[in-house]
Amino acid sequence: MTGTGIDPWAADTSWHPVSGKLVWVRLIGLGLGAVPLLAGVALLGAFASGPAAAAASALLVALLGFRAVMVVRAVHSWGYAEREQELLVRHGVMIRRLSIVPYGRMQFVDVSAGPLERAFGLATVQLHTAAAVSDAVIPGLEPQAATRLRDRLAALGRTRSEGL
Amino acid sequence: MTDPLHGEPRRRLHPLTPLLRGLRTFTVVVAAISLQGFAQLGLIRGGFAVLLAVLGALVLSWVSWWFTGYQVVNRELRVYEGLVWRRSRAIALERLQSVEVVRPLLARLTGLAELRLEVVGAAKTEAPLAFLTVAQAYQLRDRLLRLSTGDGTGDEPAASAVTQPDGWPTERVLHRVAQRDLLGSQLLTPQAMVVPFALAASVFSFSVNPDLSLVGIIGAVTATVGVALQPVRRVVADYGFTVASSPSGLRLRHGLLETRSQTVPPGRVQALAVTWPLLWRPMSWLRIRIDVAGYTGGDGELSGGGTLLPVADPGTAKRVIGQVLPGVDVAGLPLVAVPRRARFRVPLRYRVLAAGLGEDVFAVRSGLLTRELALVPYVRIQSVRIVQGPWQRGLGLASVHADTAGGSVAAVAQHRELAEARQLAAELTDRARRARGAELLG
Repeated sequence: MTGTGIDPWAADTSWHPVSGKLVWVRLIGLGLGAVPLLAGVALLGAFASGPAAAAASALLVALLGFRAVMVVRAVHSWGYAEREQELLVRHGVMIRRLSIVPYGRMQFVDVSAGPLERAFGLATVQLHTAAAVSDAVIPGLEPQAATRLRDRLAALGRTRSEGL
Repeated sequence: MTDPLHGEPRRRLHPLTPLLRGLRTFTVVVAAISLQGFAQLGLIRGGFAVLLAVLGALVLSWVSWWFTGYQVVNRELRVYEGLVWRRSRAIALERLQSVEVVRPLLARLTGLAELRLEVVGAAKTEAPLAFLTVAQAYQLRDRLLRLSTGDGTGDEPAASAVTQPDGWPTERVLHRVAQRDLLGSQLLTPQAMVVPFALAASVFSFSVNPDLSLVGIIGAVTATVGVALQPVRRVVADYGFTVASSPSGLRLRHGLLETRSQTVPPGRVQALAVTWPLLWRPMSWLRIRIDVAGYTGGDGELSGGGTLLPVADPGTAKRVIGQVLPGVDVAGLPLVAVPRRARFRVPLRYRVLAAGLGEDVFAVRSGLLTRELALVPYVRIQSVRIVQGPWQRGLGLASVHADTAGGSVAAVAQHRELAEARQLAAELTDRARRARGAELLG
């Protein structure tokens, strides 16, 4: 990790992974998005036959399989770490991103959960700073972990509150 | 007359406001009906329709004026508006990012002005107080600025000294852009350079094919005017550009038809960018923008939101930047180039890309034709990000972003060596924390 990662403090940060259940949330999301595509494949199979149709459906299924693998890897790439002064959030498989957000710069914290996330008992915590691009989102947190993190961040933000 | 605890009575805007607003609708209505509409309706009926619409608009804007008011309560400005949907907004003055006195042409003819306040988190200008008398606008501006820095109630008798137009007695002019430089710089833009060619092409095509239709000629003329409009607008908007420093902050005044006078309190400049357009290099001219949170300068790009100097020579730039970001010397920044292998990712730009940690600012150079140097004071850094794309991973590179509350100046150190990027991010985080600590202690 020290040689190739993008984490500046790789030696002394303990990364928390997000819940593994997020894989299912994301996979179901992907599946729902792919319903029209799958329907198209089924129709193709029902009405057209021959090597061209078979190749097309095979290609689509392979594409979906690839997306599914990427989704799983993307979920495992998420992680967050609480340093003394900053929150670190990393994610991304193809494009790797690491955000370093000082607690003192925090303007507010959002805890949100969509219907799929709620079904799996997960929540998303998002940290907002005055910069719109700060990008500190942590999805797939267990509710206790999410509220604990939110309260901790709010407390840390209060003691280190600063203007712009 | 005022009690600092209970504030003061609500005040209305200037009584001429509905008339000015109504006049604006008048032009809109006339344009909407258009010549064709008038021809169909006949002159009398057309005139009657216009009269009716304008009367309606006048009544509506009079009602809105009657229910609009403002009030300073402690360290808040409250703005009330609406008859059916009541709204009152309280603006915490400590959060004030900039105050601007805008005088559109009509307002200048009637001795009125509009006061615009910028706060963070607002998509557009909050609480544009239109219209006040000029004296009122300046007085209110100075008072709000005093309140924003937190000394007293802003009602000190000293206020009388600042009521004079635009605070002349207390401010010091740093630089006034010469008319000739402004004109020259706008002639040296791609848009202005295209005009002679467009004209030559039109004349040529006309001489080859003399029976060109009227539509064709009109089309060529409108296209040329459309292209040339931007430099012309810039000249009009930046006419007489003056940078001054006053006790309440940096003051920028400009405009030929619509004049603007913006005040940015100290410590509100989130980032600064110096730009060297290709065509300006023979003249060694440059342009400077500042990033103030929430400020867009009205209609975005054209009004030149955030211009600090529309054109300047290096000496002036150095002097003015030294005032805006004390202790920063543009020429003396320790810029480090990207590694040579970055040329596999950016074959041309790799010579230009550079970044460096100055005494108080993070500096990033980019741009091949239009070279830009972005400066972000460590104190203003909100968060730091490292981003690495697949190509960069293959080459062992990464980009470091320093995010600020502004949005128009991006300080991104692209394609740094991976180990250096990690170190840069750690160092930026560290320096930002220390600078904030120092600022909080005063």
